[in-house]
Amino acid sequence: MLRKTLKRATLSAVGLAVVLYSAFPIYWMMISSVRPPGSLLTEVSLVPTRFTLEYYKNLFELTDYPAYFANSVIVAFSTVVITMVLAVMIAYAVARYRIRGKKAIVIAMLYAYMFPPLLVAIPLYAFFVKIGLGDSLISLVAAHLTLTLPLGVWFLWGFFRNLPFEIEEAAMVDGCTRLGAFIRVVLPLSVPGLITVAVFSFLLSWTDYTFAVIMISSDVNKTIPVGLASMIGSFDLRWGEVMAGSTLIAAPLLIVFTFLSKYFIQGLGAGAVKG
Amino acid sequence: MSGKSTIYAFLGVGLLTTLLFVIVPVTFSVGLSFYKMESFVGTPEWVGLDNYKSVLSDADFWRALLSGTIYAGLSIVLQLILGVGLALILHQSFFGKSLVRGLSILPYLLPTVIVVLTFKWMVDGSVGIVTELLKTSGLPEVRWFETSSAAMMSNVLVSVWMWTPFVTTCFLAGLQTVPESLYEAARVDGTNAFQRFIHVTVPVLKPVLTVVILLRGIWMFNKFDVIWLMTKGGPLGSTENLAVMSYRRAFTQFDVGGGAAIATISFLILSVAIYLYFRAFPLETD
Repeated sequence: MLRKTLKRATLSAVGLAVVLYSAFPIYWMMISSVRPPGSLLTEVSLVPTRFTLEYYKNLFELTDYPAYFANSVIVAFSTVVITMVLAVMIAYAVARYRIRGKKAIVIAMLYAYMFPPLLVAIPLYAFFVKIGLGDSLISLVAAHLTLTLPLGVWFLWGFFRNLPFEIEEAAMVDGCTRLGAFIRVVLPLSVPGLITVAVFSFLLSWTDYTFAVIMISSDVNKTIPVGLASMIGSFDLRWGEVMAGSTLIAAPLLIVFTFLSKYFIQGLGAGAVKG
Repeated sequence: MSGKSTIYAFLGVGLLTTLLFVIVPVTFSVGLSFYKMESFVGTPEWVGLDNYKSVLSDADFWRALLSGTIYAGLSIVLQLILGVGLALILHQSFFGKSLVRGLSILPYLLPTVIVVLTFKWMVDGSVGIVTELLKTSGLPEVRWFETSSAAMMSNVLVSVWMWTPFVTTCFLAGLQTVPESLYEAARVDGTNAFQRFIHVTVPVLKPVLTVVILLRGIWMFNKFDVIWLMTKGGPLGSTENLAVMSYRRAFTQFDVGGGAAIATISFLILSVAIYLYFRAFPLETD
């Protein structure tokens, strides 16, 4: 009995250490974004007593942050929508039909995980410059699709494969076309898988720095990760503003995760990977 | 529309886009590596294997290959040890377990940019909290970025913090599939916890581990953002890996062909490594 209690206590202590290790930097980032400048840059205090929204105000009034934020939202949502549509189509076709080279398609998708980012980014950038769309949000969406499409197809392929074919057959016997059966029967049943793909595509696009720093050069087209990173150089280390900007990128992710963690963990288990 | 044509339409549209976005650029990139191109708007000039010759005879290339391999190797090993350890702990039952599990994934969700910025803020020389902590506990000051080994360790530290949750989550999911009866049988045989881990847990979870190591390996070898944001490959190029080198060539030194050649070479190296990996640890396919 005593041994069991001791074990529980040890585990809880380790658990607390894990929480501190994982969450303290995030706490520190958030708390630093609301501490008044006087104390932020002169003393360390774990639980501050005075708060300010000054950095957020500066961020929105003195920098291009609102534009960065809007760009990130546009890019992430376009990426998610396009990924969903295309990945669903490819994955369904591959899962439901005996096509020659089907295995090759699936392997190619997995293979795409291992491309060095520069191997994709250099030619993509060259291509968009050539057609006059260099430094555009469209080019960034295209770059993100090179990551999210393989992931989406790979994941949904597994998902569709596990849905019994009989459900579509039944719908087709009842007079649905293949497309009708797909839209009315398969898609509604696939909602959990679709959410997982959406969550991952959003995450990849929203957090991406590598492709964004390559594809985007002008200030008006920057997404937040690149915009924030460039502030470090030009802003002579305004830590308050930088931490406020970081908190604003993290916040949507933390909110999404709180509600959708089930799908996230399920996705990880099934081979959806980020970074 | 008949069933067959729906399928073909789906497949056609899908594959065409994939081709456009993934296959064409990669092929094009390999092509670019045979040209001399000083900017993205200039006209490329065919130079054959010259880019490869100059890259392979460049000492910086070999240094970047070595340093990138050390970085990837160290971070994978540490992620694995820490990730598996954490999974084993989080698999036990204790007070607040689900909260701890949820919070332990957070680092994996964050964009690299804010992880790096927060790290730099925490170790800031004047008021960083880590700096303060070291000072108050009487420990010597750490210069996180000034020597090549310190910069390398900083990069590894940040990478391990960010990506360990991936290992933890996968391993934890795997642990739930290990039948309790196997542990019971092993207990009857008088084994201790460590022996049960080695002889029961590891063999059952081998497929999970194989994939986790492979994916982490690929991503760490290709890693660009952490290194670029942390050290820009410095000090004096000592933490530069092939991804950073390729970026610098193509985008700051106006040698697009050279950048493409480095990217192609690192892709080839990775392909060979993965081939050998699969030879050593074949995937169990269904």
